[in-house]
Amino acid sequence: MDSAAAGPASETSPPETSPPQTSPPQTSHPEPPPPETPRHPETQRPAETQRSTSAPPEPSEAPPLLKITGVSKTFPGTVALDHVDLEVAPGEIHALVGQNGSGKSTLIKVLAGYHHADPGARAWLNGEPVDLAAPANLSRHHRLRFVHQDLGLFLELGAVDNLALRSEFMVGPLRQIRWKAQAEATRELLARFGLDLDLHRPLAEATPVQRTVVAIAAALVGWQHQGQGQDAPGLLVLDEPTAVLPPHDVARLQELIKNIRDQGTGILYVSHRLDEVFALADRVTVLRGGRVVTTRAVEGLDVQALAELMVGADVDAGYRAVLKPDNERPVVLRARDLRGHFLQGVDIELREGEVLGVAGLPGSGRDELPYALAGSLAGAVGQIELVGQGWLPVRKSASFDIAIVPADRAREAVISEFSVAENLTISVLDRFRRFGWLRRRPERQLTAQWMDAISVKAAGSDALITTLSGGNQQKVMMARCLARDPRVLVLCEPTAGVDVGTRQAIYEFIADRARAGLSLVVSSSDTGDLLAICTRVLVMCNGRVVRELAGRKITEQALLHAMEETEQQV
Amino acid sequence: MTTQLPAERDVADPGPAPSVPARRVDWRSGLSVRNIGAVYVLVVICVVFSIWAPQTFPRVATIKQVLDNNAITGLAALALIVPLSTRTFDLSFAYVMSLSGVTAAHLIVADNTNIWLAMLAGIGIALVIGVINGFVVVVMRIDSFIGTLATGSLVQAFISFVTGDNTINNVKLAGSFSTLSQGVFGGVIYPVYYVLALAIVLWLFMEYTATGRRLYATGFNPDAARLANIKVRKLRFCSLLTSAAISGFAGVMLASSLSSGDPTAGTSYLLPAFATLFVGATVFKQGRFNAWGTIVAVLMLGTGTVGLGLVAAPLWAADMFTGVVLIAALSANVFQRSSPLRGQAGRARWLPFRYGSPGSGRAPR
Repeated sequence: MDSAAAGPASETSPPETSPPQTSPPQTSHPEPPPPETPRHPETQRPAETQRSTSAPPEPSEAPPLLKITGVSKTFPGTVALDHVDLEVAPGEIHALVGQNGSGKSTLIKVLAGYHHADPGARAWLNGEPVDLAAPANLSRHHRLRFVHQDLGLFLELGAVDNLALRSEFMVGPLRQIRWKAQAEATRELLARFGLDLDLHRPLAEATPVQRTVVAIAAALVGWQHQGQGQDAPGLLVLDEPTAVLPPHDVARLQELIKNIRDQGTGILYVSHRLDEVFALADRVTVLRGGRVVTTRAVEGLDVQALAELMVGADVDAGYRAVLKPDNERPVVLRARDLRGHFLQGVDIELREGEVLGVAGLPGSGRDELPYALAGSLAGAVGQIELVGQGWLPVRKSASFDIAIVPADRAREAVISEFSVAENLTISVLDRFRRFGWLRRRPERQLTAQWMDAISVKAAGSDALITTLSGGNQQKVMMARCLARDPRVLVLCEPTAGVDVGTRQAIYEFIADRARAGLSLVVSSSDTGDLLAICTRVLVMCNGRVVRELAGRKITEQALLHAMEETEQQV
Repeated sequence: MTTQLPAERDVADPGPAPSVPARRVDWRSGLSVRNIGAVYVLVVICVVFSIWAPQTFPRVATIKQVLDNNAITGLAALALIVPLSTRTFDLSFAYVMSLSGVTAAHLIVADNTNIWLAMLAGIGIALVIGVINGFVVVVMRIDSFIGTLATGSLVQAFISFVTGDNTINNVKLAGSFSTLSQGVFGGVIYPVYYVLALAIVLWLFMEYTATGRRLYATGFNPDAARLANIKVRKLRFCSLLTSAAISGFAGVMLASSLSSGDPTAGTSYLLPAFATLFVGATVFKQGRFNAWGTIVAVLMLGTGTVGLGLVAAPLWAADMFTGVVLIAALSANVFQRSSPLRGQAGRARWLPFRYGSPGSGRAPR
């Protein structure tokens, strides 16, 4: 296809077109990325670039690449960021850690210009002031690049297109794309990252680590010329790049990131995995509740100390439902050897009135398990038994009395064109049937009952569901499932996007239901959820249950520890 | 396109405050342009033509003409309400109309079949195509837009193969068979009553049965519907059967009104049916395909066309009118509804649902 597209025009073009943009003079270096000195960006001359040593630069020596002070971000009802200060030096890997809801992603979004900071925020990139309260402009983009957690790639397209779409296609005199040159440039660029990949195959077919590398390469497009002119190094923001990578790929990616760092690029590295912070970062900033707890060198810290910094003393004072684990009660649900994309053989036993938590990092199988139990995970295998109803293959468990509140409320739960009432009753419509007709009165009554029982704040049951706040929408979604009167309720991320007050109401509500005999499985990336309501927590890692905590043993520290693979390897 | 973009929602963002009032709380909102824009357009059309052609337009004969001319279009459009509500396109319906008409005509001419049996045979063969559509779209998971376009093409090929592209004309078709849709009662032809009956049935079905509610849920958010234990695939399969059966009936009526079996008779209904449906979805039930809205849309476009005929407008005027009115009706609606739908800028505004690969499931990894 590319030969046809390039066609005769490309054969006439070579004399007058410039060489491929992605081949700077140093390409003969056998090492991956050509090195540059990070120390003195202003005075740096391109010709005499030296490989920097692996030692991190002293922050005092170079002006900070990025400096922000007093960054706040207020959403209606919540303060997501509260006067955050941060400095990243050139050639530094700066880790940004914190629990869910600590403000990490909000901070990244403010930097990226997706959110605008509250007035009063000040920021400098390479000493030049940046207005964080305004939309990101080109020069901000030029100095500050992002690899978001979902990578932002076009999976239907190959690496060539993905990289070219980030910068510009190389065109001949007739504005036709010079596919061969484009592919060559892409190959060269990716080779520097040690990536060997079929450039034209859709990225959907590539492995996760290959995609991550392509995303990083795409983010760095245009920075290869760094040091050749007046360009100073830029800042690369990596948001959980290793979240879904298997361990051996993580190591490879870390090497690559260090290489980029050694070129003088500053890296702001957001991660859940504390061991990575120690493997990679020079300094670390800990966020908690939208505030910076500390910024300090990683040296001298250990995992335990860092976890305590993240968690803080105040967090354990959160709501506790104090449900007692009771091993005498009958088993309601059993599952054997569940497998999926991430699940590698998980057994589950759930008792009546139990609230079973599922913890784990992204990619551990934690987010897959609930869907597998509810029979809505494509490709899941394994056996499941709802006691009294016999064993079934797990993909058929939708016929069991198991309701699920999905993780992504907007995409998988809320029917945004429907009213509150229609959303609430959608799974129990059969109850209002008489001679095939849907009777409105019992439907209205049931809706009113539930809206009252879980105190949904809405203009009325006929209001569109999208006019409700996130917390109230979540309550309606829970009511939708509970109205079915299921034997087992599976909750995914029960408090995602839910404000603090509603959060507690949801916890109390779940606890009430459990006391009434309902069995629940709660999967959450927010350890606060698990601490608040669970009687037992399964900690998952690499698709398996690696630890089971019960009763008083469920603590923030124990959960965080168990989620880190490091501990398991000891 | 399953493009991976940075997440658009922010977890820390608690969403809009619950301040927007409920729908249908106020009778005035029921009469708003937003709710019944097409009705106002219909009124304006009537007023304009009454002034323009005071001798010929404001008469009972005009009403009859509008109803008679558009009854088959109404049937064709109503056929699609059920599948479109599950966001399943059935583009094969026009070809199915040709097929069932030709089948009925052929049986009457060649085998002297009873007209009722012939009609049933026409609907029966349409149902066979419905099953094929269901297989292609639901079982093979081919996008319904393309899948039914393909089956429609196959149906047309089959018709041409069997009939040799010749219209079936015979005096046998002029008798009681033509009465099915040419018979007059109360001043209008029988199909007007068929449309009325079908609209009532579809209105009750979509509004007042659990299945109707589930069909809408399936169309609006298939993932949510599936997770709420709705049998999404079964509903989509059955919706294609309904559209096939109704278009089969419409095809027989079309053959009856033409008193012939025309192998390409149905094709001209393809676009008008979809146009009226999408206009209809903006009327009465915001964003939902519904029977009465569709009827209003059919009348709106039909009245304009008849009026243009009465003022002896040139031939191109009818098409131009249709285009202008479609854009006007849909754009008025878009301006009205933009406010409460946050964060949905990427969606094609005039589509009452998100069109894309159905059941795309969870994020690709």
